Amino acid sequence: MPAIHSSLSFYMKPLFLSNSSLFPRKFTVPKEYLLNPRSLCALSSASNQNGGRSGARSLSPSPVSDDLQKIDVNPPKGTRDFPPEDMRLRNWLFHNFQEVSRLFGFEEVDFPVLESEALFIRKAGEEIRDQLYCFEDRGNRRVALRPELTPSLARLVIQKGKSVSLPLKWFAVGQCWRYERMTRGRRREHYQWNMDIIGVPAVTAEAELISSIITFFKRIGITASDVGFRISSRKVLQEVLRCHSIPEHLFGKVCIIIDKIEKLPLDVIKNDLKSAGMSEAAIEELLRVLSIKSLTELEEILGGAGEAVADLKLLFSLAEKFGYSDWIQFDASVVRGLAYYTGIVFECFDRDGKLRAICGGGRYDQLLSTFGGDDIPACGFGFGDAVILELLKEKGLLPPLNHQVENIVCALDHNLQGAASMVATTLRGKGQSVDLVLESKPLKWVFKRAARINAQRLILVGTTEWQKGMVGVKILSSGEQYEIKLDELE
Amino acid sequence: MPAIHSSLSFYMKPLFLSNSSLFPRKFTVPKEYLLNPRSLCALSSASNQNGGRSGARSLSPSPVSDDLQKIDVNPPKGTRDFPPEDMRLRNWLFHNFQEVSRLFGFEEVDFPVLESEALFIRKAGEEIRDQLYCFEDRGNRRVALRPELTPSLARLVIQKGKSVSLPLKWFAVGQCWRYERMTRGRRREHYQWNMDIIGVPAVTAEAELISSIITFFKRIGITASDVGFRISSRKVLQEVLRCHSIPEHLFGKVCIIIDKIEKLPLDVIKNDLKSAGMSEAAIEELLRVLSIKSLTELEGWF
Repeated sequence: MPAIHSSLSFYMKPLFLSNSSLFPRKFTVPKEYLLNPRSLCALSSASNQNGGRSGARSLSPSPVSDDLQKIDVNPPKGTRDFPPEDMRLRNWLFHNFQEVSRLFGFEEVDFPVLESEALFIRKAGEEIRDQLYCFEDRGNRRVALRPELTPSLARLVIQKGKSVSLPLKWFAVGQCWRYERMTRGRRREHYQWNMDIIGVPAVTAEAELISSIITFFKRIGITASDVGFRISSRKVLQEVLRCHSIPEHLFGKVCIIIDKIEKLPLDVIKNDLKSAGMSEAAIEELLRVLSIKSLTELEEILGGAGEAVADLKLLFSLAEKFGYSDWIQFDASVVRGLAYYTGIVFECFDRDGKLRAICGGGRYDQLLSTFGGDDIPACGFGFGDAVILELLKEKGLLPPLNHQVENIVCALDHNLQGAASMVATTLRGKGQSVDLVLESKPLKWVFKRAARINAQRLILVGTTEWQKGMVGVKILSSGEQYEIKLDELE
Repeated sequence: MPAIHSSLSFYMKPLFLSNSSLFPRKFTVPKEYLLNPRSLCALSSASNQNGGRSGARSLSPSPVSDDLQKIDVNPPKGTRDFPPEDMRLRNWLFHNFQEVSRLFGFEEVDFPVLESEALFIRKAGEEIRDQLYCFEDRGNRRVALRPELTPSLARLVIQKGKSVSLPLKWFAVGQCWRYERMTRGRRREHYQWNMDIIGVPAVTAEAELISSIITFFKRIGITASDVGFRISSRKVLQEVLRCHSIPEHLFGKVCIIIDKIEKLPLDVIKNDLKSAGMSEAAIEELLRVLSIKSLTELEGWF
């Protein structure tokens, strides 16, 4: 056996731990390791650990040359691997995100997953801040794995300054992170599709964004009977607070408290609002306004002059023209959990009530100035990859996605391996995908593999045919078989 | 103007710094901030910093409510933003990676960009290890932003065990990271296209991989007159070392030293090899073998 094997084994003799009950496979340590005198002492204690779950036992790497590493085959807690089947689903989802964005004329952008922590520090008590995945890098700088994409987008918009023409219509699909205690068994990362319109102050922008999300839903088979949008405006709360002379600096905090109205008991909410500086009368009025479910009633309470009602009325009338009125409804209790929203806010919910919010967004006209830039009106949404897949699963709408290779090419004689490579190259040159069999394998094996990769054709390179410059072709769906000259093969 | 504006301004009054000479645009702090009585004291000291480069001046956020944040419009050192034009180029490149992988019948996979540090600890003196972007997470676990994709692939292959049929032909396009001192002006992240064949012992696999790269080059207009592949085998060094009875555990270290032959002076290489435990005779022979440029000569030597 190759010499490298044991040299590498000296450097790293991993003990593979499978921490999940999903993985019954035991990993035995090869005999060579056990017989290697250098590592005998280290391994004898380790040999008891072959295969079994032994999370408690810890082996620290020695400072000199012997290294025993405990390698967990699972990805870090809260993160996911994407083996081929999961990757196909992810690619399908992302392709739909990108296709809808393209239909709406948006341009794709991206930013680093690692940003300066400062970009996400907002003292409004948002959950996103408590769960920030931050750390000190090797240069003692405080950085964070981004919890959302919007601040990076804002940073890039300011950076571009006058070099870009407004409005900007940008989209991104990026991974976002949070640090949450794993006792809750929740994910620490997810991918998020964002679409943002920068430079349009009117609610036509929000109407366009909601239209794009609905276009996406329709593409994947979700209808207005499956999901709905609850829409409101931060200006509603603003007007109530102003009427009660609540200082403007409390606004963000109040919104974050209100956002938890479904998760916390009402008296806790009331107490938090009191601590935030609101009078009992203001709290009562606020809660009453939040329960309003019709625009007409809202107009009665707030009057028709304010921006809140005007914005919402315009949005709903635009929705009617777009043709999606049956997807949306006014709900004054929607505030969303980000401090920087200033106007229209919306969230998409599943009508069966089983899942968390599918996506959410709103207007954020003052974010850029908090980063030192000039304010530019902006609105956008974030759409995660987790809940939508749960929804599709519920509705039986997950697409069947199989690995598909058009051709499988096989040499019938090991002398013809080179010829088989030539055949593969020819087909690939014509844009055909080819799985080339790289070793001598029995035909039975080849057929099995062909079935697994859903091949359309099996191309056989045999001695007799090849001498005539020909190959054998078998159409796997029909069983039809024929010989053809290599240069005629399409 | 909307009421929210000043409420947000109370939370965070960033001083915006443009650390690059590429960005001459000055950002003025809006007048409303200057007139806001709550923030007057904090801002008066800040007002001198409007627009100019003032990297030296640092404002620590006060523990109570006034926050002055210094937001850099540039991405973190060594990382890149992808505005639309750059994203179009990247998408074009990645599309070609994926298309070639598809032509070769490979399946796409992906893994977390963050992995346990243990996955990358190999004590062979590799540069990849010195520059590992590692840190302690909030739970005091040692993690790292991956410097390469192969260990994650290996981890996933083992995880899948007997549930997958060999050979596996997997590809990935993922971001990899390194921590390097920024005085050298180098990047800290890049995307890497990986193609791996698991389960084929014969060199037909290597031939297939090289074929895929050449297919990629041809697709984008690169020809054999533009680029070339230098090919050898670790088994060559192995045989030389074995002939000189060099212990096998030194093999990895020797390879890493040899790999730096273009970057370090020859006497440094020779010294490192000596420190690694090689005799002068062994070193001489090794260096001679390494200079061989024809398979015939190599064959003759053995």
